[in-house]
Amino acid sequence: MSEATLERGLKALKEQIDTPIALFFSSCTHCGMCATACLFYTETENPAYTPINKVEPMRRLWEQEYTLIGRIKKAIGMSKPITDEELEEWQEYCYNACSLCGRCTMVCPVGNDITYMIRKMREGMAAAGHAPEGLIGASKRAVKIGSPMGVKLPALQAQARHAEKDLGMEIPFDVEGAEYMMLMSSMEIMNYPEYMEAVAKIFRQAGKTWTISSEAFEATNSGIQIGSSDIARELVSRVVTAAEKLKVKTVISPECGHAYTAIRWEGPNLIGRKFPFHVKHILEVLDEFRAEGLLKTEGFEEARMTFHDPCQLVRRGGVVEQPRNLLNMVSKDFVEMKDHGIMNWCCGAGGGVSANEDAAELKMQAFKRKKSQLDELNVDTLVTACANCRIQIEEGLEENEMDIPVVGLTEMLAEHLVEDNKTEG
Amino acid sequence: MTEITNETQFKQGLQQLSLADQRAVGARFVEHVISLADDERISFAIRVAKNKDAAEDELAAAFKSAKAAALDCYTRCGADADWSEQAGYFVARAASAIVAPEKDISGDGPAWTAAMNSRMARTCSIIDANTDAESQETGQQYRILEDLLNS
Amino acid sequence: MTAVDFLLWVRGPGLTIASIIFVLGMTLKFFEIFMLGRKKNLAELRGSGVKEGFKTIVTRSGHVDTYSTRHTKFTHIAGWVFHIGMFIAIFLLAPHIEIFKTFLGFGWPALPTPIVDLATVISMITLLAILFHRITNPVLKYLSVGQDYVVWALTFLPLLTGYMAYHHLFFRYEWVLGVHILSVCLLLVFFPFTKLTHAFTLFISRWYNGMMAGEKGVQQ
Repeated sequence: MSEATLERGLKALKEQIDTPIALFFSSCTHCGMCATACLFYTETENPAYTPINKVEPMRRLWEQEYTLIGRIKKAIGMSKPITDEELEEWQEYCYNACSLCGRCTMVCPVGNDITYMIRKMREGMAAAGHAPEGLIGASKRAVKIGSPMGVKLPALQAQARHAEKDLGMEIPFDVEGAEYMMLMSSMEIMNYPEYMEAVAKIFRQAGKTWTISSEAFEATNSGIQIGSSDIARELVSRVVTAAEKLKVKTVISPECGHAYTAIRWEGPNLIGRKFPFHVKHILEVLDEFRAEGLLKTEGFEEARMTFHDPCQLVRRGGVVEQPRNLLNMVSKDFVEMKDHGIMNWCCGAGGGVSANEDAAELKMQAFKRKKSQLDELNVDTLVTACANCRIQIEEGLEENEMDIPVVGLTEMLAEHLVEDNKTEG
Repeated sequence: MTEITNETQFKQGLQQLSLADQRAVGARFVEHVISLADDERISFAIRVAKNKDAAEDELAAAFKSAKAAALDCYTRCGADADWSEQAGYFVARAASAIVAPEKDISGDGPAWTAAMNSRMARTCSIIDANTDAESQETGQQYRILEDLLNS
Repeated sequence: MTAVDFLLWVRGPGLTIASIIFVLGMTLKFFEIFMLGRKKNLAELRGSGVKEGFKTIVTRSGHVDTYSTRHTKFTHIAGWVFHIGMFIAIFLLAPHIEIFKTFLGFGWPALPTPIVDLATVISMITLLAILFHRITNPVLKYLSVGQDYVVWALTFLPLLTGYMAYHHLFFRYEWVLGVHILSVCLLLVFFPFTKLTHAFTLFISRWYNGMMAGEKGVQQ
């Protein structure tokens, strides 16, 4: 990243303001309803965490730059300029206390997409040098090493060798003409190696060709979390280049929420052209396999289970029914949380919150919302489809002394696969 | 004289054991990689898993503390990878597998899960050391199981 | 200036000037908004989102979130009551319809005056409660800026003075009616330059919200 200054920040923020932003600011009546939709507010009752407040500096910039009255006020020195001190204060509000979960967007009575606004606000914040250290570090590693967590190819290959031994099959790297190109998140490579094995098992059963690119295997995108389109574009274009080189039909986003948003929805807009391939979340692909009869499972989980909807996948991504279809294949006692699907509550760690050390305490406070939801339900197992949600929930449950195992949906399905080679050996 | 040369034999060998034996052999897999983790909670899990008369609540307590140990050393999303810490994470996961109460046991049984996680731990330490060394963990685990089956 | 002179001025040139400022101001406002534009979405869409956009214009009048609904009951109910009351007072009082008729060339049936009167009273009481809520609720207190109170006053004054004029309260009728019309002029003049614009823009905001979600296949 080039040097961050207030001037650059304001310029970047100004460039973000478009028709919807102007409409949203023109419509807000300060009714305060977005506060009750935000878990960072409900669990702390800090009024500064009211979602619309997180973009207050952007509102003033819009007024000063793009409205007649604002310009007059600025010309006669009646408006309050945006300062570094102010943005420094706002860093807490729009990074630590926002997971870009999108709930506020769903309740605003005048229809403001506040999440869209905060995402844009972060572009200005990052350019002004007011992004959290943790996210800056992750972004630098992502650009330099290819992974926000510094996971290099040899590490992935070592995991792949492990999976190969475990499964007795090859993990395909750089296979040109494969139908699917699998992306992974560093979280999965490091903490949940079961994921890669599960995918390999399922694709073997479905008889579909797939591959991992050794040049672009990382799906996560720190650029969209920190709010730097330049970084986000660079990371997306690596994936696009690899997918085009391997001539795959579909790129699969892994069980990671924001990776999906990054590649599926922001990706083409970042590089400024449509993709010559489809982008699907792993659960979309698995649900297609299910519909085509390619996913054969046996047995049912005995535990009473519920599904935690990852925000970027469901509310901000539109993949709502697929996880439920898949869960019902292997569970007979699946119950929904009171607020679920597009109105589910965030785990508290999305949108870069987990990578931001300043937010470590706050994210555990925010988790209390999930805790209340789970307390009402009395389930034995929680299923989700995002490695980041998963680890936050595991940590939260541990801290609150709740004994509920957390499992990834893809892995759970893989455990129930009918294995054709069962009688072998 | 049983000899184990491949994964199928290894898996079958493990699965024919009683649950208590699976825990015990799993404990030996974990013991083999314990140098990669510096945590009293892991030694505790090993002791409990080896004790065939361990009570349910003892298992539950060991399971809980081993899980907590795993959560203490996983790498946060976006944090810089520390592969030696990460090795500790997998050792702890292996340790929690061998003391998991029956309802929490995953598909392939405690010994198998412990074996896989111990191998992951070794892999992490090799990544950390940045060498091309091939992990010998699998072969070592075969020997451990052979010992048990032949004793 | 006598009361009658004042009344004649506000009702004639005053109201005309205010109306012109209102119309020009709103035109400028929409120009300011739409000249900014929006980049075309290049992602592979699940739908055009147009239908969801229109749907959201309607559905957003209610709530999809049970938790928020439970915790913002007052804002919800007060919001509805005061907006409906004000709508009745503005558009369904016979003398008001007469004025619209001179501007628009057509009219519509009025509600009986006592009903409009009741709606006005309810609206005023609700607005007072809303003000009280704004200064006592921690979130609203934190969020509120000067303009929020100015806008409140601009909305409240026409209701109050209208009520006073109708009941011939306190001052000479011509004065009160003149002040009533003046308060409406103020409302019109300030309208395009304050958050009162939400009365128009909220429908377009809701449309964008629903449309952008609809493009991703999220049904609201």
